[in-house]
Amino acid sequence: MKKLNFKLIALGSIVFLATTYSCKKILDKSPTGVLSGATLANKAGVDGLLIGAYSLLDGYYQGQPGSAFASGISNWSWGGVGSDDSYKGSSTGDQRDEGLTAIEQHVSINPTDGYLGSKWQVCYVGIVRANNVIQEVPLVKDGSLSQAAADIDIAEAKFLRGVYHFELAKIWQNVPYVDETITYAAGNLNAPNPGPIWDKIEADFIAAMTKLPKTQPQAGRANYYAAEAFLAKAYMYDHQYDKALPLLTDCITNGTTASGAKYALEPYNNNFNALTKNGPESVFAAQMTVNDGSNGQNDNAGDVLNFPGGGTYSSCCGFYTPSYHLANAFKVDANGLPMFQIDATTGFPQYDVVNLGNDHGVGPTTAYTPTNEAVDSRLDWTVGRRGIPYLDWGLGGGEPWTRGDLVPYVPIKNVFYHSAQASTTDTQAGWAGSQGVANNYNIIRFADVLLWRAECYILGTATNLAAAEADVNTVRSRAKDPTGWVKTFVDSTDPSKGFTNTPAANYKVGLYTGQFTANGKPYALAALITERQLEFGMEGHRFFDLQRMDGRFGGPMPAGYMAGVMNAYYKADNRIANPTLGIAHFTAGRDEVYPIPQDQIDIEGGKLKQNTNY
Amino acid sequence: MFKSLLLKGRTLCIIVLCALSSMVVTAQTRITGKVIGSDDKQPVIGATVKIKGTNVGVVTDVNGAFAINANNGDVLVLSYIGYQSKSVTVTGPSLGTIVLAASNSTLNEVVVTGYQTQAKKDITGAVATVNITDAKKIPATSSEQLLQGQAAGVTVVNQGAPGSNSTVFIRGITNFGNTTPLYVVDGVQVGDMSRVNPTDIESISVLKDAGATAIYGISGGNGVIVVTTKKGKAGKTVLSYDAYYGSQVPPGGNVWHLMTPSQQSALAFAAQDGGSQQLYPGGAGTLPTYGYHGGSAFGAFGAAGVTNDAGITAAYNFDFLHPENDFLVQKFNQQGTDWFHTIFKTAPEQSHTITASGGSDKNTYLYSLQYLNQQGTLIETFEKRYQARVNNTYSALNNHVRFGESGYVYYRENNGGSPYNQQQEGGSISNTYREMPLIPQYDIKGNYGGAYDGPTGEPLGNGSNPFAQQERTKNDRAKSWNMQGTVFAEADIFKYFTVRTAFGGNAGNTFYYFTSYNPYENYEPHTNPNGYTEVAQYYYNYNWTNSIAYKETFGKHNVSVFAGYEIRQSGGQQLGVSANNFVTLDPNFLTVAATTLPTSIGLGANTYLYQPTGIESYFGRLDYSYADRYLLGATVRRDGFSIFYPGRQWGTFPSISLGWRISQEDFLKSVSWLQDLKLRGSYGSSGANGNITGTNAYDTYNYGFGNSAYGINGGLNSTTTGYAQTGIGNPKTSWETDKALNIGVDISLFNHLDLTVEWYKKTISGLLFPVPLPSTAGAASAPIVNSGDVQNKGVDIAAAYHGAVGSDFKFNIGANITAYKNKITKVPGDYFTVSNGTRIGSFVREQVGQPIGSFYGYETAGIYQNDADAHYDRANKLNTAGAAYSGAQAGAYIYKDLNGDGKIDANDRTFIGNPNPDFTYGVNLNASYKGFDFSMVLYGSYGNKDFNYVKYWTDTYGAFPGGKDIDLISKSANVVNGVVTNPGATQSAMTISQALGTTIPSTFYIESGSFLKCRVAQIGYNFDPGILKNIGVSKLHVYVQATNLFTITKYSGLDPELVPSVNNLNQGGTQPQQSASFGVDYGAYPNNQKTYLVGVNMSF
Repeated sequence: MKKLNFKLIALGSIVFLATTYSCKKILDKSPTGVLSGATLANKAGVDGLLIGAYSLLDGYYQGQPGSAFASGISNWSWGGVGSDDSYKGSSTGDQRDEGLTAIEQHVSINPTDGYLGSKWQVCYVGIVRANNVIQEVPLVKDGSLSQAAADIDIAEAKFLRGVYHFELAKIWQNVPYVDETITYAAGNLNAPNPGPIWDKIEADFIAAMTKLPKTQPQAGRANYYAAEAFLAKAYMYDHQYDKALPLLTDCITNGTTASGAKYALEPYNNNFNALTKNGPESVFAAQMTVNDGSNGQNDNAGDVLNFPGGGTYSSCCGFYTPSYHLANAFKVDANGLPMFQIDATTGFPQYDVVNLGNDHGVGPTTAYTPTNEAVDSRLDWTVGRRGIPYLDWGLGGGEPWTRGDLVPYVPIKNVFYHSAQASTTDTQAGWAGSQGVANNYNIIRFADVLLWRAECYILGTATNLAAAEADVNTVRSRAKDPTGWVKTFVDSTDPSKGFTNTPAANYKVGLYTGQFTANGKPYALAALITERQLEFGMEGHRFFDLQRMDGRFGGPMPAGYMAGVMNAYYKADNRIANPTLGIAHFTAGRDEVYPIPQDQIDIEGGKLKQNTNY
Repeated sequence: MFKSLLLKGRTLCIIVLCALSSMVVTAQTRITGKVIGSDDKQPVIGATVKIKGTNVGVVTDVNGAFAINANNGDVLVLSYIGYQSKSVTVTGPSLGTIVLAASNSTLNEVVVTGYQTQAKKDITGAVATVNITDAKKIPATSSEQLLQGQAAGVTVVNQGAPGSNSTVFIRGITNFGNTTPLYVVDGVQVGDMSRVNPTDIESISVLKDAGATAIYGISGGNGVIVVTTKKGKAGKTVLSYDAYYGSQVPPGGNVWHLMTPSQQSALAFAAQDGGSQQLYPGGAGTLPTYGYHGGSAFGAFGAAGVTNDAGITAAYNFDFLHPENDFLVQKFNQQGTDWFHTIFKTAPEQSHTITASGGSDKNTYLYSLQYLNQQGTLIETFEKRYQARVNNTYSALNNHVRFGESGYVYYRENNGGSPYNQQQEGGSISNTYREMPLIPQYDIKGNYGGAYDGPTGEPLGNGSNPFAQQERTKNDRAKSWNMQGTVFAEADIFKYFTVRTAFGGNAGNTFYYFTSYNPYENYEPHTNPNGYTEVAQYYYNYNWTNSIAYKETFGKHNVSVFAGYEIRQSGGQQLGVSANNFVTLDPNFLTVAATTLPTSIGLGANTYLYQPTGIESYFGRLDYSYADRYLLGATVRRDGFSIFYPGRQWGTFPSISLGWRISQEDFLKSVSWLQDLKLRGSYGSSGANGNITGTNAYDTYNYGFGNSAYGINGGLNSTTTGYAQTGIGNPKTSWETDKALNIGVDISLFNHLDLTVEWYKKTISGLLFPVPLPSTAGAASAPIVNSGDVQNKGVDIAAAYHGAVGSDFKFNIGANITAYKNKITKVPGDYFTVSNGTRIGSFVREQVGQPIGSFYGYETAGIYQNDADAHYDRANKLNTAGAAYSGAQAGAYIYKDLNGDGKIDANDRTFIGNPNPDFTYGVNLNASYKGFDFSMVLYGSYGNKDFNYVKYWTDTYGAFPGGKDIDLISKSANVVNGVVTNPGATQSAMTISQALGTTIPSTFYIESGSFLKCRVAQIGYNFDPGILKNIGVSKLHVYVQATNLFTITKYSGLDPELVPSVNNLNQGGTQPQQSASFGVDYGAYPNNQKTYLVGVNMSF
């Protein structure tokens, strides 16, 4: 018995000792599947963080709260559906409860609206990523990052930080400004929003300008002139026209793209075609790519809903349908000029008194011939109409191509060409998966720069209406040039046979001939606003153009201007008995900006204040 | 009867020691005898034979025989668990055969607790035992289902999908994430017990309070379920065969209460739904014959999409590889397609287990083989399993050294997919109400019918053909094998000590693959390319435990001490790859490499390393009893967990429990009807570490094509890799602490009735929860921090009655009640909302003072009868700004203006339902008469509310077209000129108008989820052993059984018992939250389908 005990004790002791010894490392387990911060403290790491900051320019990222289309960079919801550019589209119920209907109608935008939260989130994520670059640069000690390279990295980061703050400021006006000192570790993430932050946005662009080179090794990077144009844009929103003017003039005179091409207007639709992207008109764009291994995360998924919802090109999802009002705006008078003057009887702009001829109610089986009314040539690059070539897809289908809520128009600027489908669209599986496109979204294009300068000439201290008219005419001249017009098909049943030289509709574009000076500043401003409406229709700018004109935030028009425009639009729209806008109403003093997301107000515990009257 | 080998071993050991220490007694004769049981007339092995008034005793051998030195006139006390003790006076050298009467009392039952076993009478903690005999009557492909209603304090929510896990809570939900208890299967610490063959199970104990769970320390906070499997028994080899075969029958009739196509046609006009009216060119109530859609023939037949012209069929074109060329035509189903029954069919299920067991007094063995095959009533779902178990024990050196193993290996096959996949709006079950009945199952050429073939603009809705959806999973498979078990060795040393080492582990491998098809028949994604995904994964976890036990009796003092050291580790890896654009999806051909579009091959999304984890632990337990009357138990465990940051890794979890067996006091000992009265209480703490990730302590970065890559060079399809912060670290995070106070009383009366009542209070503090950060933190996920407290209070009651009328009729009644009140006592910011992936926004709010998972929304109060009323709130206060809410008008819901400001807005929301039941209960009824036996198992839940999200689709007109509830006709308001013409209407007006506010979360969706289910009713017959002997069979029991014979409920959906949704995401949208939201119905796989079985249990 004794021997046995001894053996057992010995055995037990060995087992115990062996266990204890072998287990020293039990609790020493590194996190898997991630990179540590130290791995990035070198040039490649900083460059990568900067690319990561750029990558949110498309307005969404994998895993974000809410959908890509709620936050995409084109701002089709806030800037388009929320303005008189377009309707929500699709079926009545679609995206209604997610909040898009409220954005369309402005009656009850709930601060819990899902669209609000997504956009807010994505912008701040971009800002934080830009800040991460600025935070990482001082940590690089291995000599891989030269001072000059570091300066450019930081300049690009500040530029991006400015761009993302700009998005926030347009939509909400009063937003927290977050720089690299605001971090989890510092415990100051609950940043307040005491008021507009245009000065801080301007400071970031100024800082970026001082260090950014005029050309960059890649087309997608910000250069000196992009920063200059953004600084000017910030001044426009800040109503500091005199500060903006010299910057814009420098851009117009000397500006080049990051690739070194002199800024210039190019055929209008080149701006909306993936094959001609990053051309001389692209001052700064969100780059889109397809078939890049991301399964549809870089292909302008923000606009993935905004394709016809039926017809030959039948895919999905029939959202973002241009309004009657927008199409009407392209109507021209005998001189080929827009008819923006207000009609005394109806209170509408003259173009809106009678709707442009359209196929509403015609039905799919009845033959339809498009109207022969004279229109601005940009109409058919902006609004898909029945009977007019829809890019190279065949004749547009009109109302049968929409979905649920029936309207005669469909979007076109974000659509790809049939002939380039293989190279410019994505092919991943998934819901509406094949509608990802490589079309860039131009955040600023050169036409913008020209029209801002015109605006400065009208609103700045040294008024120069003739110069303003000249800039407007520069933009109009391009629209006047028939080489850039939509042409009829050789064979409309076989679009692959190409186009004739015959304009697809009765296009007529005239130049102003001294009306600005003759009719004075109010006329010039109205003409300019209309020119922007025509030039940038369905590009997500309209809401913000109206906003910065409104006196509420210091614009040249009286406070309530925007509400006036919007309510006239709703009223005009109700003539066609479209039930969707029946209860729409725009409330001055509230709806010029959107409500701050409620969950952010809740999380910040009182630091963040809701916008007025929400 | 329960004849645990473990107890036997211990008893033997003690008795032998006792015998050795009492060799001083002299002048005695050798007395022999044999002990058999009254029930099975078999020898009772290991029964104690003791001379009354002394410590002298022996135990019976494998033949039930004993020999003891005693004097004539001595009284021998014979005892064995499960039998009533018997006193025999020595009258001669042989006492012959002594029959021990089977006892109905469970007092001496041995209960497996943490690392040890204890007699039930000595237990001071809250330990519930599952009546395994009754539990096993439920045919289960996932063994957690056995627990439902079988143990007080355990809440189990099952679902119908074959092989799918259940949701198990012990003493209520205790956090917002993972409340799964720890499972210990034969010593292996694992996350579930689903695959353990029920036939193999010997016992299940549920450790509920800190007194019982603290020994599992950081892993014990959610409770512990200890499962032991059967061992062989000394004696001849027993061969047994247990099997059942049956079929499950889905619910019949119009399960969603949907209207016919012509009713829907009429409705489209009544609701002035211009879009849907295109579908019915003939007018209200008419139906078209054909629907068509597509490019090539579009011009010839026009864009209407519907026609009665049979000529359309000639233009049909279907192009598998180029769906853009499709011209699809379907013939509408004028009667309406019963989509539910296109995918729910009667389905067979069967299980066969062969067990061989036996052994000698030194070694025992048990082998079992199982084949299980349950076809789901949902077509293409199934669970097939082949399983083998080997449990062996050996002893050596005169039984001082014992070693052995218990383990099993299984191979499992099913069609993959998450068991929770149905609980979301895209699930095939939800499409049985979302797909319009007008749509046929197949189109005119036998391809699938769908919402695509009809007018453009989606009047056929955005649902999917559920039959197609389900049939397309036909070749999807998940194939797994898994090995799980323990090997152990133990030895007795120095008389009173036992040392033991045990290595238990679990390792497995799963390979799964699935296809995605071009859903050409659906409206929304009908041009998607097809795709294929393959995923391989392996995983392991093991625990190695070394322990030493000491046991001694000093007079009336019984002392037992146990100490151990343990390590646990886990890890694994997964590789996944997918691609799209295949020329065929033939399973005999398909691999990812077969894609025609190499650029579509995606690696990464499914590829990752499992975070390895390690736990190192020291633990000890002391049990002391005095005179079998006063009981003390104390445990302490010290755990270190790798995932916490160094410095925060170690925690200590102590507990103490006390018991007083009042019935052993002299003043009660003479009370013959009271067998036991024990008062006990415990207090202590344990922890929970289930809700944390391995990267939590660190700032982390990553890159991803979709997250941080960017086309900086301006091209069409090339991106540059970028980095982004993915996680914010918090090194301060540590475990959740569960502090539990438990007071219980155990009573045994009249030799027939056992009753246990327990009251507890469980306080969970420092919940592991990612406190949401403002957007100014960026996209990096917020660290999980210890934030938030929850308190549960509850009562568990279990009662069992064993009775007999005459000698032939016997019956047992068991019942238990689980009642808990759950309350959030602290969360950051007072509340947060949980996303549910619905189209009506979030409606689950976790708020201080409320139970977890509470529904939050508006209270409805009828229907506005005319437009003018809609400007007033219920208190008749005028809303000067206009309607009470946007869209308030005649026929719209009146929502209660809770803050009385005249308008209805977010401030008028309140708590509208609690998904936690007031109590759940289980009742087991067993009776036998001669050879016949009857049993019934009932399970019920009372007081829980369900959120019937199905009604959004079927009962509001504003949702996408789809199946619509007949209630839309019979219960909706009719509005004529701004006045409701049917004042009794309870639902809002049928209208397409988007502003009626019908779809916001409100009490409209809340229903009582109380139910009582008859889980099992069984009648069986035991053949007479005498007759069977002739054919070499020792036992033959045959039975017929019905499960879910009835469900009593007021709930209008399929089944009020609802598992959580796959959409319960945390704030970051990344992790499914098992506990934060439940009781929401998206069209769950019903778990109350009837099954009819025949079964057999036989032994040779």
